[in-house]
Amino acid sequence: MSDLKTEVKTMLIERLKLEGMTVDQIDDTAPLFGEGLGLDSIDALELVLGIEQKFGVKIEDEAAGLKAFKNVDSLTAFIAEHRAA
Amino acid sequence: MAADPVTTDLIKTQLPHRFPFLLVDRVLEREPGVRVVAEKLLTYGEPYFQGHFADRPLLPGVLMLEMLAQAGGFLEAEPLAGQSIFLAQVVDARFKGPAFPGDRLRLEVKPEASFAGLLRITGTVACEDRILCTAKLVLKRLG
Repeated sequence: MSDLKTEVKTMLIERLKLEGMTVDQIDDTAPLFGEGLGLDSIDALELVLGIEQKFGVKIEDEAAGLKAFKNVDSLTAFIAEHRAA
Repeated sequence: MAADPVTTDLIKTQLPHRFPFLLVDRVLEREPGVRVVAEKLLTYGEPYFQGHFADRPLLPGVLMLEMLAQAGGFLEAEPLAGQSIFLAQVVDARFKGPAFPGDRLRLEVKPEASFAGLLRITGTVACEDRILCTAKLVLKRLG
């Protein structure tokens, strides 16, 4: 697992208070919202803040954000793409 | 002082709330998307003072959160007329002091983040430089 992916999963667990969950238990391709991790829209706002604070990546475009929030793989790719820029 | 102050008449255009639950009397400063400073003037006539408490009228803490949420409605540039604004989350709230009839409450709110119809704000309720409440709230706007 890439370091960034581990960091993203750690951020998800800490920021969203996913009590009792470990990095290994979060599936890279399972949906973050609804099924899968079962996150809701309030969690999405919390994620926007967490990503900005931890990775310095701002999500201002809602459509781009929702696409990035599909699963851990897409979120990691989004952060990797926007972090250095 | 403020760009774009809101007159008393315009408060009812911006917020759908009405007596006895319109908890913003004046908007002193308003920069949409940046900062809002509003006021609520407490009197003995407030309905909740009848029972909270009969011998010692005291503003319920949850109403300070509601005041901040309503003040948050003025962070939006467009009027909320025809729409409602709801509390979606109380992230954090600290009540540091009581508010009584006669107090002029200063409500200051700032946006922290927004996404998909949700707005997270930080807010402070103060009276004559005494901070009575600080809070982080998430508001949801519904059409």
